[in-house]
Amino acid sequence: MENKRSHGREILAHVVLIILAFMCLFFFYILIINATRSHAQLQLGFSALPGSSLVTNFKNVINDPAIPILRGVLNSLIVSGCCAAIVTYFSALTAYGIYAYDFRLKKAAFTFIMAILVMPTQVTALGFLRLITNMGMDDSLLPLIIPSIASPAVFYFMHSYMQSSLPKDLIEAARIDGSMEFSTFNRIVLPIMKPAIAVQAIFTFVGSWNNYFIPALVITSKNKQTLPIMIATLRGADYMNFDMGKIYMMITIAIVPIIIIYLLLSKFIVEGVTLGGVKE
Amino acid sequence: MATLNLKGITKIYPHSGGQKKPKKGAPEKKTNLQVTDKGVVAVQQFDLDIRDKEFIVLVGPSGCGKSTTLRMVAGLEEISGGELYIDGKLMNDVEPKNRDIAMVFQSYALYPHMTVYENMAFPLKLRKMPKDEIDRRVKEAAETLDITQYLDRKPKALSGGQRQRVAIGRAIVREPKVLLMDEPLSNLDAKLRNQMRAEIIKLRQKINTTFMYVTHDQTEAMTLGDRIVIMKDGFIQQIGTPQEVFDHPANLFVAGFIGMPQMNFFDAQLKNEGGKYSVSVGGCTVELSEEKQANLTAHGVAAQDITLGVRPSHMVLSKEPGNTLSATVEVSEMMGSEVHFHANAGGKDVVVIVPTMDAEGQHIDSFHAGDQLNLTFSGSVCHIFDHEGRNLEF
Repeated sequence: MENKRSHGREILAHVVLIILAFMCLFFFYILIINATRSHAQLQLGFSALPGSSLVTNFKNVINDPAIPILRGVLNSLIVSGCCAAIVTYFSALTAYGIYAYDFRLKKAAFTFIMAILVMPTQVTALGFLRLITNMGMDDSLLPLIIPSIASPAVFYFMHSYMQSSLPKDLIEAARIDGSMEFSTFNRIVLPIMKPAIAVQAIFTFVGSWNNYFIPALVITSKNKQTLPIMIATLRGADYMNFDMGKIYMMITIAIVPIIIIYLLLSKFIVEGVTLGGVKE
Repeated sequence: MATLNLKGITKIYPHSGGQKKPKKGAPEKKTNLQVTDKGVVAVQQFDLDIRDKEFIVLVGPSGCGKSTTLRMVAGLEEISGGELYIDGKLMNDVEPKNRDIAMVFQSYALYPHMTVYENMAFPLKLRKMPKDEIDRRVKEAAETLDITQYLDRKPKALSGGQRQRVAIGRAIVREPKVLLMDEPLSNLDAKLRNQMRAEIIKLRQKINTTFMYVTHDQTEAMTLGDRIVIMKDGFIQQIGTPQEVFDHPANLFVAGFIGMPQMNFFDAQLKNEGGKYSVSVGGCTVELSEEKQANLTAHGVAAQDITLGVRPSHMVLSKEPGNTLSATVEVSEMMGSEVHFHANAGGKDVVVIVPTMDAEGQHIDSFHAGDQLNLTFSGSVCHIFDHEGRNLEF
């Protein structure tokens, strides 16, 4: 009786999970299927079977002189990759400073950083735009990368992770062993922070990859556009010459790097979510 | 290999923002550390001269300032007052890495992403030592500590005892002037602790260095130390060899802290009749030994109410009541070769240790709860403390 009940529960759980998995993955499936269909086929309505226009759509996207897609992919990769690298390194460094050292106004510094967390990007956008224009950095990829050095959310995550996983004894042991402060951070702290860095790197990468707001304000020239802006440009084009197959192909190209990054780092993400909760 | 001189070392933790000097009448905290306008005084006027290759153990209850003192020697805590010399050089403001000391932590503090070999080689690499020299030293230390077979493993694949060996290995590869150990055995289970204690004694014979060891376990202190420093509330209570502090505790605290089971204490009277000192407790009067007589006379001690201390193993069972202290057995603990009787003598708890067999192998009569004991003690083994807890013989 007991066995039967638990069996039933298991089946129910699997059904729910299958539905959820279907809901999550179905849109990706449709996207990829649609990328293989021509505009005419797409206008006929929904089909679960792939079409034959994959190569044509791909060629159309690649060869469109109005939209330098490969340049867009490269720009997005540069911006997202740099953002992920510097946000994790500098946030970990800041968190380490607050965590490992005792200094006056330590608590105030922490509170100040946390206060920035509640400030929406839109509020500071105008000031930011004026600043980079005055600095002569408009229409450049740099203003999309550099501000990510200061990321209170990532700082907070790193700080919490250090509290749970970085014993101060380790830092002191390194000091006694003869390690300089920067070297302790790079050689001892960073490797211990790897799971946290991987989690934040992927979140930042995805966030930056999908970011539309700031690039739309900053970037004006075509060869500096990132992918979200290019897709928006295509959608805003003349409705009569609107090629849906091309748009689907473009979105497919846009999400592929994200999927690859996720697959590469998924082990760390799962570890990062569960780590810290269990003391060894 | 170095001498270590601590002269009037003091540590004051300043009040942080929200933490003010407690008001009068505020509930007392667990420790009785002195609080001044400057902050909480964790260590007060610590004076100690440690000889070359000496093994010094700092022992005391939690919060007594022993770890703080060790951390000041290591350079991990700033010294608020006093002077620290290592080999005659003033070290107050010298960085930890330049003090030529090594430290073993309670939590092992091994770098989790490095193998045992890399952990042990790390301090040598930082000193830019040639690779073959690093290799030689690491292997030699691993050999000494019997961890050669684990050199390629990561710390998480090791047991607690093995991890602590690696931590010790990392400390000794550098051949430091002073080896500091902060409760290195506290995280191990009882059996492993005994084993590691013996290992540390052996290690000490193999490597020539000065040891400073912190523990709250008096057994560790007694077995390891050449000299023991007993601390309480930031003050040194007594410095001496294990035998000295056991035989001649300077005050009530030391008497109670050193020795297992704890020393028995009685309210008693010190009498001086015709120049002869005797103690009287609950109908039992015992004349003091020659040595004690001489000490008390030398200090001109007057007859007074005292606290009398007698160790459980020094309590003697007397067959006949008479000039004895009577007590009622409450609990008896069979320990194998001896029995510990917990008894009540006029409202005071008394522990008496009695062997289960005499020298001829005859079982000695046992006692049960409710039985009456007639206790006495020798005038050479009792300890006399005044109402402030000071040993009157000092």
